[in-house]
Parts: sequence; C-alpha cells; structure tokens
Amino acid sequence: MWVLITSLNTPDQVLTFPPSFVPHWQWQNYVLAWEAAPWARYFLNTIFIASTTVVLVIVTSALAGFAFGALRFPGRDALFLLVLSALMIPPTVLLVPDYIVLKDISWLDTYWAQIVPWGASVFGIFMVRQFVSTLPAELADAAEIDGASSLRYLWSVVVPLVRPALITIALYVGIGSWDSFVWPFIMTSSPSVQPVEVGLATFYGTNGTEWTQLSAAAVFTTLPVLVFFLVAQRQFLEGAFSTAGGLKG
Amino acid sequence: MLESRWGYAYLVPALLILVAFTFGPALFVVYISFFNWNLLDPALSHPVGLENFTRLLGSARFIGSLVVSLYFTLATVAASALAGLGIALLLNRHTIGRSTARVAVFTPYVTPLVATSIIWIWIFNPQFGLANAVLSAVGLPELQWLESTTWALPAVIMYTLWHNLGFTVIIFLAGLTTISRELSDAARVDGANAWQELRWVTLPQLVPTILFVVVISSIGALQAFTQFYTMTGGGPLGATTTTSYLLYQEAFVFYHTGPAAALAVILFLITAGLTLAQLRLGRNRGATA
Repeated sequence: MWVLITSLNTPDQVLTFPPSFVPHWQWQNYVLAWEAAPWARYFLNTIFIASTTVVLVIVTSALAGFAFGALRFPGRDALFLLVLSALMIPPTVLLVPDYIVLKDISWLDTYWAQIVPWGASVFGIFMVRQFVSTLPAELADAAEIDGASSLRYLWSVVVPLVRPALITIALYVGIGSWDSFVWPFIMTSSPSVQPVEVGLATFYGTNGTEWTQLSAAAVFTTLPVLVFFLVAQRQFLEGAFSTAGGLKG
Repeated sequence: MLESRWGYAYLVPALLILVAFTFGPALFVVYISFFNWNLLDPALSHPVGLENFTRLLGSARFIGSLVVSLYFTLATVAASALAGLGIALLLNRHTIGRSTARVAVFTPYVTPLVATSIIWIWIFNPQFGLANAVLSAVGLPELQWLESTTWALPAVIMYTLWHNLGFTVIIFLAGLTTISRELSDAARVDGANAWQELRWVTLPQLVPTILFVVVISSIGALQAFTQFYTMTGGGPLGATTTTSYLLYQEAFVFYHTGPAAALAVILFLITAGLTLAQLRLGRNRGATA
C-alpha cells in the first residue's frame, strides 16, 4: 500500500517524516519511470525466456518422468537416483563453472544461456514420475494389446491424465524464471537480452535516489507476477501442498 | 509396466541438459578449485594443489563470511520455523477466512526479490522510512538500519522472513493435515490442555515436517544473494558479506576464479552435509518409531 502511495507522490512529499500516507495521484511518475529505461524490451525478454523455459521443462519432465514411472529398463533406478542427486548441487556452486562453459560455447549474453541450462527440472521429473506411477497398470496393458507404441501411449493416455502435475510445474517454473536474477545478472550484459529483474537492478543503480520513480518501477515490474499468482493461486497452493506431502514420505 | 528398450531415449533430453549444465560443471568446479585459473586464457592456468583452500581457511574475510552466513541462516531458519508453525497452527484452527489468509500469507513468496527488496530499502531509510517511524511512535530510538554494521544484517533478515514465511506456513499446513485427529481427541478426553496437546501430541507427529523445513530453509539461506546485492552490497564494512556473496565478489568482481571455485566446493560440501543429515535423521526416526 505504502509503495503504491509513494509511487504516486511528488518527490518533496516522499522526503517528509513521519511518512505521509495521503496519495497525490502523480501518475506521471509512472510515465517518467517507464520512459527512463527500455522496459518494453525487458518485459518482452522476460516473457520470451519464461515461456520457452516452461515449454522446454514440460517436454523434458514429461519424457523423463514417464520413462522413470512407466517403463522398465536396466539401470532405471540408478539413473533416477542420479537425477535426484542434482538437488544437492545448488545453483550458486554452478555459477563459476557454468560461466566458463557458456563462455566456451559463446552463449554468454544470449537468450540461450538463460533458457537451456534451466530446461531440465528435477522437481518436474520427480513430480511427473510420482503421478505416472499411480496410474493403473491396466492402462499400459490395454495400450500394449492395442499395439500402441510407448510414445503414442505417453501422448494420448498419460499426458491428459497428468495434466494437473504439468500445470503445477509450468506455474512454478514460470514464476521462478520471471523472478530469477542472479543467473541472468551474471550471464548477460546487454539490455537487449536481459530480463525485467536485471533491468530493475540497473535502474536502481542509476536512479537510486528518485524514490517516486523507483517505487513506480517496483510496482509495474511486480504487478504481472502478482496478478498471475492471484489468478492461479489455487493451483499454486495445491502444488506446494502436494510437493510437501510427496517429499516428506 | 511396459518393457522398453526405448526408456533411455526418453531420458536423453533431460540428462543431456543436466550433464552439460549441472553434473559436468559440478565436477569441473572441483577441478578448477585446484588451479590458479586464468579466465581469459585457460592455457595460462597452473595447478596449485590445495593452496586455494588453505588460503581461504587462513583469511579473515572468509571466516568473517562464514560467521555472517551462520548468523543469517540460524536467524532466518529459527524465526521462520517458529513463526511459520505458529501461523499454520492458527490457520489450522480457524476455518473462517482461511483460504484468503493462506493466499495473503503466501503472496510475498512469489514476488520478485529485486523489486520487493528495493521497497524494503525504502522502509529502512533512516530519515524517511517506515521502520523508524514505527520505532519513534513507540518511543524507541531510531536506527541507521542498512547503514549500520550492527543493524544491516537484522534488516536483511527481516526482509527475508517477510519474503519466505509463506512457503514455511504452507509446508506446515500440509504437515498438519497428515497428523491424526484421533490422538488429539484422545488427549483432550484425558484432560490435556492446549499446550500439553501441542507439546506431546501435535509436535512429535510434525517432526518430519519440521526437519524438512529446517533443511530446505537452511540450504536456501546459504544460497541467498539477491537481497544482499540490492539492499547492502555486502556492506557496510563487510557486515553482510555472506559466503555466497564472497563467492560472487571473488568470481565476478575480482575474477579470482580459483579461489571462487574453492568457495563453491566448500558451499557444496555444506549443502550436501545438510541434505545427508536430513536423510539420516529421517531414517533413524523411522527405525526407532
């Protein structure tokens, strides 16, 4: 609330103490803040990066989760343990070596660097596997008798049934990608490929004392995430619930 | 279950990404940590054995960063576990308005760190901020907050709590749905008061959830970077330089790649230790229960 009011105040009113809670409807703060940085570019970058990351994660999670949950092949359980062990390697540890890897393949300062490394999610694979392994065995038997290939079974039987899991994964990966800062901050340097969060940090670095414009920028960069969350809050909370329940066991 | 030679093919996309950007680099960082690594020309790198590690262990900056990380981790984990449990118990008891309250509590968790930490910088502004307005309203002395070596870290801790508390609450709420109603009813029939019921009936059944919350939030706290970058930049005078922040400075401000890799290895060992401790504690409980 206070942020909304500050973003609508004149600079003089912001610098009063105790803080004033009377808004003065200075909508031009938003105009000034919007014009002070390439926000449209930042927003388009974020939307592009978040949506392509989501698509990639859904594809890799559905394929791998299906294999781990519904197919039988030698070494399956060992491979699943290997995938789970990735949870022990936090992103901070990977900043330095991945920077060098991305530098070597000339991906620094590109969209690729912000999408592909995040294209496989252990959480996503785990969740699809849990869902798939609860499906009745008769489904797979029926598919086998019908002569359906495993890919066909995945696409026309499994995917529709695990849709709730896929939606939860999409929501969390989407918000995670929208909110991510450290990775794009380290791996990119040009506003032409940078996302909103990095843009906001740059804006703060250069306009750090313009509090009315700064809070306007903080508001319009947060608003899309908030609206998105409030619209989908039921799936979000159920997702957190089922993950907590699943991991505890 | 389908017998399939094609199982491996389904794993290829995910494994390719994990090997290229997680497992491979994780091994690579261990390798780099034994080198004086030249970022511009790797051919000029030369092995230095354990020197990166011994230098770190002897440096005041590293030891200082461990102290800051420990302070930050203990404070955020203890406070968010206690407050999270308290709020979850409250929400669990009252059914009216619960779903609205759940959404309200969870909302800060999905907000972007850069945007909301900028707002909290303003809250902690010594001249015009809300924090000092509250302090002076209740008759307490005003503080310099982010500009003070004593209060900068508590200020970042308060912001982090605000941001993460909702996640803890949801996990505890999920845990509370799994505990047995019969046991609570039996305790009440036997004349247990609310505190006794909580202490002897509810909490023992929540131990796995508490363990999960503590380990997950400790790992998160050790990784915390964004709020430090925007709110304090590791200052004043290194008062908020955590081990993760030191890693960033070494790697991407000073380009000391070898020492930064050694820091990453140490962070990895701490994280892996915490994860294994959780698995072990969980298993021991299972064995004795």
